[in-house]
Amino acid sequence: MLTAQERERYDRQIMIQGFGEEGQEKLKKARVLIAGAGGLGSPAAIYLTAAGIGSIRIVDHDTVELSNLNRQILHWHEDRGKSKVESAKEKLVRLNPDVKIEAIGDTLTEANIDHLVTDCNLIVDAMDNLPTRYLLNKAAIEKNIPFFHGAVYGLEGRAMTIVPGKSACLRCVYRGVIPEEKFPVIGVTPAVIACIQATEAVKYLVGIGELLINKLLVYEGLTMQFTELRVKKDPHCEHCGQRARKE
Amino acid sequence: MSITVNIHQALRHITNNQATVDVSGVTVGECLADLVQRFPDIKAKLFGKNGKLLNYIDIYVNAESSYPEELAKPVKDGDKLSITLMIAGG
Repeated sequence: MLTAQERERYDRQIMIQGFGEEGQEKLKKARVLIAGAGGLGSPAAIYLTAAGIGSIRIVDHDTVELSNLNRQILHWHEDRGKSKVESAKEKLVRLNPDVKIEAIGDTLTEANIDHLVTDCNLIVDAMDNLPTRYLLNKAAIEKNIPFFHGAVYGLEGRAMTIVPGKSACLRCVYRGVIPEEKFPVIGVTPAVIACIQATEAVKYLVGIGELLINKLLVYEGLTMQFTELRVKKDPHCEHCGQRARKE
Repeated sequence: MSITVNIHQALRHITNNQATVDVSGVTVGECLADLVQRFPDIKAKLFGKNGKLLNYIDIYVNAESSYPEELAKPVKDGDKLSITLMIAGG
Protein backbone atom coordinates (compact mmCIF):
# COMPACT_ATOMS: atom_id res chain seq x y z
CA MET A 1 0.00 0.00 0.00
CA LEU A 2 1.17 3.49 -0.79
CA THR A 3 1.04 6.12 1.92
CA ALA A 4 -0.76 9.42 1.35
CA GLN A 5 2.62 11.11 1.02
CA GLU A 6 3.74 8.58 -1.58
CA ARG A 7 0.54 9.09 -3.56
CA GLU A 8 1.28 12.80 -3.63
CA ARG A 9 4.98 12.42 -4.34
CA TYR A 10 4.48 10.07 -7.29
CA ASP A 11 1.19 11.55 -8.49
CA ARG A 12 2.50 12.57 -11.93
CA GLN A 13 3.95 9.17 -12.79
CA ILE A 14 0.97 7.28 -11.36
CA MET A 15 -1.02 9.21 -13.98
CA ILE A 16 0.93 7.56 -16.82
CA GLN A 17 -1.22 5.15 -18.83
CA GLY A 18 -0.70 1.62 -17.51
CA PHE A 19 1.27 2.78 -14.46
CA GLY A 20 -1.22 3.53 -11.68
CA GLU A 21 -0.77 2.92 -7.98
CA GLU A 22 -0.16 -0.73 -8.77
CA GLY A 23 2.89 0.23 -10.83
CA GLN A 24 4.17 2.49 -8.09
CA GLU A 25 3.82 -0.33 -5.58
CA LYS A 26 5.93 -2.54 -7.86
CA LEU A 27 8.67 0.08 -7.85
CA LYS A 28 8.42 0.36 -4.07
CA LYS A 29 8.93 -3.38 -3.68
CA ALA A 30 11.88 -3.49 -6.11
CA ARG A 31 15.54 -4.01 -5.24
CA VAL A 32 17.94 -2.67 -7.84
CA LEU A 33 21.69 -3.09 -8.13
CA ILE A 34 23.52 -0.20 -9.78
CA ALA A 35 27.02 -1.37 -10.66
CA GLY A 36 29.10 1.80 -10.78
CA ALA A 37 28.62 5.26 -9.24
CA GLY A 38 30.25 7.24 -12.04
CA GLY A 39 29.03 8.87 -15.26
CA LEU A 40 26.25 6.37 -15.93
CA GLY A 41 25.62 5.36 -12.34
CA SER A 42 25.01 8.92 -11.15
CA PRO A 43 22.03 9.82 -13.36
CA ALA A 44 20.67 6.27 -13.24
CA ALA A 45 20.70 6.37 -9.44
CA ILE A 46 19.17 9.85 -9.30
CA TYR A 47 16.24 8.97 -11.57
CA LEU A 48 15.58 5.57 -10.00
CA THR A 49 15.67 7.15 -6.55
CA ALA A 50 13.33 9.94 -7.66
CA ALA A 51 11.00 7.33 -9.18
CA GLY A 52 10.63 5.59 -5.82
CA ILE A 53 12.50 2.30 -6.22
CA GLY A 54 12.26 0.62 -2.81
CA SER A 55 15.87 -0.35 -2.37
CA ILE A 56 19.01 0.55 -4.34
CA ARG A 57 22.37 -1.08 -3.82
CA ILE A 58 25.14 0.94 -5.43
CA VAL A 59 28.59 -0.59 -5.81
CA ASP A 60 31.84 1.19 -6.69
CA HIS A 61 35.35 0.97 -5.27
CA ASP A 62 36.59 4.40 -6.39
CA THR A 63 37.02 7.72 -4.66
CA VAL A 64 35.93 11.02 -6.17
CA GLU A 65 38.54 12.87 -8.23
CA LEU A 66 38.43 16.35 -9.74
CA SER A 67 38.46 14.92 -13.27
CA ASN A 68 35.23 12.97 -12.52
CA LEU A 69 33.18 16.09 -11.95
CA ASN A 70 32.38 16.96 -15.58
CA ARG A 71 30.04 13.99 -15.76
CA GLN A 72 29.57 12.15 -12.45
CA ILE A 73 26.84 14.43 -11.23
CA LEU A 74 26.23 12.77 -7.87
CA HIS A 75 29.67 13.99 -6.79
CA TRP A 76 30.36 17.64 -6.14
CA HIS A 77 33.46 19.77 -5.73
CA GLU A 78 33.63 19.29 -1.97
CA ASP A 79 33.40 15.48 -2.35
CA ARG A 80 36.91 15.09 -3.77
CA GLY A 81 38.66 12.26 -1.94
CA LYS A 82 35.44 10.73 -0.60
CA SER A 83 34.25 7.25 -1.43
CA LYS A 84 31.97 7.54 -4.49
CA VAL A 85 29.28 5.34 -2.97
CA GLU A 86 29.22 7.37 0.27
CA SER A 87 29.09 10.59 -1.73
CA ALA A 88 26.25 9.10 -3.81
CA LYS A 89 24.33 7.92 -0.77
CA GLU A 90 24.52 11.36 0.88
CA LYS A 91 22.77 12.96 -2.10
CA LEU A 92 20.29 10.18 -2.82
CA VAL A 93 18.88 9.98 0.73
CA ARG A 94 18.35 13.73 0.63
CA LEU A 95 16.58 13.43 -2.72
CA ASN A 96 14.21 10.73 -1.49
CA PRO A 97 14.50 9.55 2.13
CA ASP A 98 11.95 6.78 1.52
CA VAL A 99 14.39 4.86 -0.70
CA LYS A 100 16.78 2.51 1.08
CA ILE A 101 20.26 3.20 -0.29
CA GLU A 102 22.91 0.59 0.35
CA ALA A 103 26.43 1.84 -0.44
CA ILE A 104 29.01 -0.87 -1.12
CA GLY A 105 32.54 0.49 -1.54
CA ASP A 106 33.97 -2.62 -3.10
CA THR A 107 35.27 -3.97 -6.40
CA LEU A 108 32.96 -6.39 -8.19
CA THR A 109 34.79 -9.69 -8.52
CA GLU A 110 34.03 -13.34 -9.19
CA ALA A 111 34.29 -13.87 -5.45
CA ASN A 112 31.58 -11.40 -4.40
CA ILE A 113 29.34 -11.03 -7.44
CA ASP A 114 26.87 -13.76 -6.50
CA HIS A 115 26.40 -12.26 -3.07
CA LEU A 116 25.91 -8.75 -4.46
CA VAL A 117 23.36 -9.62 -7.17
CA THR A 118 21.45 -12.49 -5.66
CA ASP A 119 18.52 -10.67 -4.05
CA CYS A 120 18.12 -7.99 -6.73
CA ASN A 121 15.25 -7.72 -9.20
CA LEU A 122 17.46 -6.12 -11.81
CA ILE A 123 21.00 -4.91 -12.49
CA VAL A 124 21.96 -1.60 -14.08
CA ASP A 125 25.31 -1.88 -15.87
CA ALA A 126 27.04 1.43 -15.17
CA MET A 127 30.60 0.13 -15.26
CA ASP A 128 33.55 1.61 -17.12
CA ASN A 129 35.26 -1.58 -18.27
CA LEU A 130 34.37 -4.70 -20.23
CA PRO A 131 35.70 -7.43 -17.90
CA THR A 132 33.36 -6.31 -15.09
CA ARG A 133 30.49 -5.88 -17.53
CA TYR A 134 31.02 -9.48 -18.66
CA LEU A 135 31.14 -10.62 -15.03
CA LEU A 136 27.80 -8.90 -14.39
CA ASN A 137 26.31 -10.26 -17.61
CA LYS A 138 27.28 -13.82 -16.68
CA ALA A 139 25.90 -13.47 -13.16
CA ALA A 140 22.68 -11.97 -14.51
CA ILE A 141 22.23 -14.92 -16.89
CA GLU A 142 23.01 -17.49 -14.20
CA LYS A 143 20.66 -15.88 -11.66
CA ASN A 144 17.98 -15.02 -14.24
CA ILE A 145 18.12 -11.32 -13.41
CA PRO A 146 17.38 -8.71 -16.11
CA PHE A 147 20.45 -6.66 -17.00
CA PHE A 148 20.35 -3.10 -18.34
CA HIS A 149 23.49 -2.30 -20.32
CA GLY A 150 24.83 1.13 -21.16
CA ALA A 151 28.20 2.38 -22.44
CA VAL A 152 29.61 5.69 -23.65
CA TYR A 153 32.54 7.11 -25.58
CA GLY A 154 32.78 10.79 -26.40
CA LEU A 155 29.38 11.88 -27.71
CA GLU A 156 28.35 8.30 -28.54
CA GLY A 157 26.40 5.98 -26.31
CA ARG A 158 24.74 2.59 -26.47
CA ALA A 159 22.05 0.85 -24.49
CA MET A 160 20.57 -2.63 -24.54
CA THR A 161 18.25 -4.60 -22.27
CA ILE A 162 19.01 -8.23 -21.55
CA VAL A 163 16.26 -10.51 -20.29
CA PRO A 164 17.84 -13.91 -19.60
CA GLY A 165 16.26 -16.71 -21.60
CA LYS A 166 14.47 -14.27 -23.90
CA SER A 167 17.11 -12.13 -25.52
CA ALA A 168 20.66 -11.87 -26.74
CA CYS A 169 23.05 -11.10 -23.90
CA LEU A 170 26.01 -8.73 -23.81
CA ARG A 171 28.39 -11.58 -24.65
CA CYS A 172 26.33 -12.43 -27.75
CA VAL A 173 27.01 -8.89 -28.97
CA TYR A 174 30.52 -8.26 -27.71
CA ARG A 175 32.99 -11.11 -27.90
CA GLY A 176 36.31 -9.39 -27.54
CA VAL A 177 37.97 -7.13 -25.06
CA ILE A 178 39.38 -3.66 -25.42
CA PRO A 179 42.14 -2.33 -23.26
CA GLU A 180 41.09 -0.22 -20.28
CA GLU A 181 41.92 3.32 -21.20
CA LYS A 182 41.16 6.90 -20.33
CA PHE A 183 38.24 7.58 -22.64
CA PRO A 184 36.82 10.90 -23.85
CA VAL A 185 33.36 11.84 -22.55
CA ILE A 186 31.19 14.81 -21.64
CA GLY A 187 28.49 14.50 -18.97
CA VAL A 188 25.52 14.82 -21.29
CA THR A 189 26.37 11.53 -23.04
CA PRO A 190 26.12 9.24 -19.98
CA ALA A 191 23.11 11.33 -18.91
CA VAL A 192 21.27 10.37 -22.11
CA ILE A 193 22.24 6.71 -21.89
CA ALA A 194 21.62 6.34 -18.14
CA CYS A 195 18.17 7.86 -18.57
CA ILE A 196 17.45 5.24 -21.23
CA GLN A 197 18.66 2.50 -18.87
CA ALA A 198 16.51 3.88 -16.05
CA THR A 199 13.50 4.15 -18.37
CA GLU A 200 13.96 0.52 -19.38
CA ALA A 201 14.30 -0.53 -15.73
CA VAL A 202 11.10 1.27 -14.71
CA LYS A 203 9.20 -0.17 -17.69
CA TYR A 204 10.40 -3.66 -16.82
CA LEU A 205 9.40 -3.34 -13.17
CA VAL A 206 6.00 -1.80 -13.88
CA GLY A 207 5.37 -4.13 -16.84
CA ILE A 208 4.61 -1.55 -19.51
CA GLY A 209 5.88 -0.80 -23.00
CA GLU A 210 8.46 -2.60 -25.11
CA LEU A 211 12.00 -3.25 -24.01
CA LEU A 212 15.25 -2.88 -25.94
CA ILE A 213 15.66 -6.61 -26.24
CA ASN A 214 17.64 -7.95 -29.18
CA LYS A 215 18.33 -4.32 -30.05
CA LEU A 216 21.45 -2.28 -29.46
CA LEU A 217 20.36 1.36 -29.37
CA VAL A 218 23.14 3.61 -30.62
CA TYR A 219 23.04 7.31 -29.79
CA GLU A 220 25.20 9.68 -31.85
CA GLY A 221 25.29 13.02 -30.08
CA LEU A 222 27.30 14.69 -32.83
CA THR A 223 24.58 14.16 -35.41
CA MET A 224 21.77 13.73 -32.85
CA GLN A 225 20.72 10.40 -34.29
CA PHE A 226 19.40 7.26 -32.63
CA THR A 227 19.87 3.99 -34.51
CA GLU A 228 18.61 0.55 -33.54
CA LEU A 229 20.96 -2.28 -34.47
CA ARG A 230 19.35 -5.70 -34.43
CA VAL A 231 21.30 -8.36 -32.59
CA LYS A 232 20.72 -12.07 -32.28
CA LYS A 233 21.12 -14.57 -29.50
CA ASP A 234 24.27 -16.57 -30.27
CA PRO A 235 23.60 -20.28 -29.74
CA HIS A 236 27.32 -20.73 -29.03
CA CYS A 237 27.53 -17.81 -26.59
CA GLU A 238 29.76 -18.71 -23.66
CA HIS A 239 27.37 -17.00 -21.23
CA CYS A 240 23.87 -17.79 -22.48
CA GLY A 241 24.37 -20.40 -25.22
CA GLN A 242 23.53 -24.07 -25.05
CA ARG A 243 26.98 -25.10 -23.90
CA ALA A 244 27.00 -22.52 -21.11
CA ARG A 245 23.66 -23.77 -19.83
CA LYS A 246 24.89 -27.38 -19.81
CA GLU A 247 27.95 -26.34 -17.81
CA MET B 1 26.83 -2.82 -57.08
CA SER B 2 26.98 0.15 -54.78
CA ILE B 3 27.06 -0.45 -51.04
CA THR B 4 27.22 2.41 -48.55
CA VAL B 5 29.56 1.91 -45.62
CA ASN B 6 28.92 3.95 -42.48
CA ILE B 7 32.27 4.72 -40.95
CA HIS B 8 32.49 4.86 -37.16
CA GLN B 9 33.54 8.25 -35.85
CA ALA B 10 36.76 6.86 -34.44
CA LEU B 11 37.82 5.85 -37.98
CA ARG B 12 36.76 8.93 -39.91
CA HIS B 13 40.16 10.56 -39.72
CA ILE B 14 41.24 7.79 -42.09
CA THR B 15 38.42 8.42 -44.56
CA ASN B 16 39.05 12.16 -44.86
CA ASN B 17 36.23 12.75 -42.34
CA GLN B 18 33.71 11.08 -44.61
CA ALA B 19 30.91 9.53 -42.56
CA THR B 20 29.95 7.24 -45.44
CA VAL B 21 31.88 5.71 -48.30
CA ASP B 22 30.33 3.95 -51.31
CA VAL B 23 32.04 0.67 -52.17
CA SER B 24 31.54 -2.32 -54.44
CA GLY B 25 31.30 -6.02 -53.66
CA VAL B 26 28.93 -8.94 -53.32
CA THR B 27 30.02 -9.91 -49.80
CA VAL B 28 30.91 -7.95 -46.69
CA GLY B 29 34.52 -9.07 -47.17
CA GLU B 30 34.66 -7.73 -50.72
CA CYS B 31 33.13 -4.42 -49.64
CA LEU B 32 35.69 -4.05 -46.86
CA ALA B 33 38.49 -4.97 -49.27
CA ASP B 34 37.31 -2.17 -51.58
CA LEU B 35 37.26 0.21 -48.61
CA VAL B 36 40.82 -0.81 -47.69
CA GLN B 37 41.94 -0.27 -51.28
CA ARG B 38 40.70 3.32 -51.10
CA PHE B 39 41.90 3.99 -47.55
CA PRO B 40 44.78 1.59 -46.84
CA ASP B 41 45.30 2.86 -43.28
CA ILE B 42 41.94 1.47 -42.26
CA LYS B 43 43.14 -2.12 -42.74
CA ALA B 44 45.04 -2.25 -39.46
CA LYS B 45 42.03 -0.81 -37.63
CA LEU B 46 39.72 -3.55 -38.91
CA PHE B 47 41.80 -6.68 -39.43
CA GLY B 48 44.32 -8.67 -37.45
CA LYS B 49 47.48 -10.09 -38.95
CA ASN B 50 45.57 -13.31 -39.64
CA GLY B 51 43.22 -11.42 -41.95
CA LYS B 52 40.26 -11.85 -39.61
CA LEU B 53 38.20 -8.99 -38.28
CA LEU B 54 39.46 -7.75 -34.93
CA ASN B 55 37.26 -8.96 -32.12
CA TYR B 56 36.17 -5.48 -31.13
CA ILE B 57 34.88 -4.66 -34.62
CA ASP B 58 31.31 -5.49 -35.54
CA ILE B 59 29.73 -5.21 -38.95
CA TYR B 60 26.02 -4.64 -39.38
CA VAL B 61 24.25 -5.06 -42.72
CA ASN B 62 21.11 -2.94 -42.92
CA ALA B 63 21.27 -2.55 -39.12
CA GLU B 64 21.41 -6.31 -38.55
CA SER B 65 24.40 -8.04 -37.01
CA SER B 66 26.40 -9.99 -39.57
CA TYR B 67 28.06 -12.22 -36.94
CA PRO B 68 29.20 -15.00 -37.39
CA GLU B 69 31.10 -15.45 -40.68
CA GLU B 70 30.76 -11.71 -41.25
CA LEU B 71 33.09 -11.50 -44.21
CA ALA B 72 31.17 -14.12 -46.18
CA LYS B 73 27.78 -12.45 -45.73
CA PRO B 74 26.24 -11.58 -49.10
CA VAL B 75 25.22 -8.00 -49.83
CA LYS B 76 23.22 -6.48 -52.62
CA ASP B 77 22.99 -3.16 -54.37
CA GLY B 78 21.75 -0.43 -52.05
CA ASP B 79 22.65 -2.22 -48.81
CA LYS B 80 24.13 -0.24 -45.95
CA LEU B 81 27.09 -1.58 -43.98
CA SER B 82 27.92 -0.15 -40.58
CA ILE B 83 31.32 -0.59 -39.00
CA THR B 84 31.04 -0.30 -35.22
CA LEU B 85 33.70 -0.43 -32.55
CA MET B 86 33.09 -1.82 -29.12
CA ILE B 87 32.78 0.88 -26.47
CA ALA B 88 32.85 0.35 -22.72
CA GLY B 89 33.10 3.74 -21.03
CA GLY B 90 30.81 4.59 -18.17
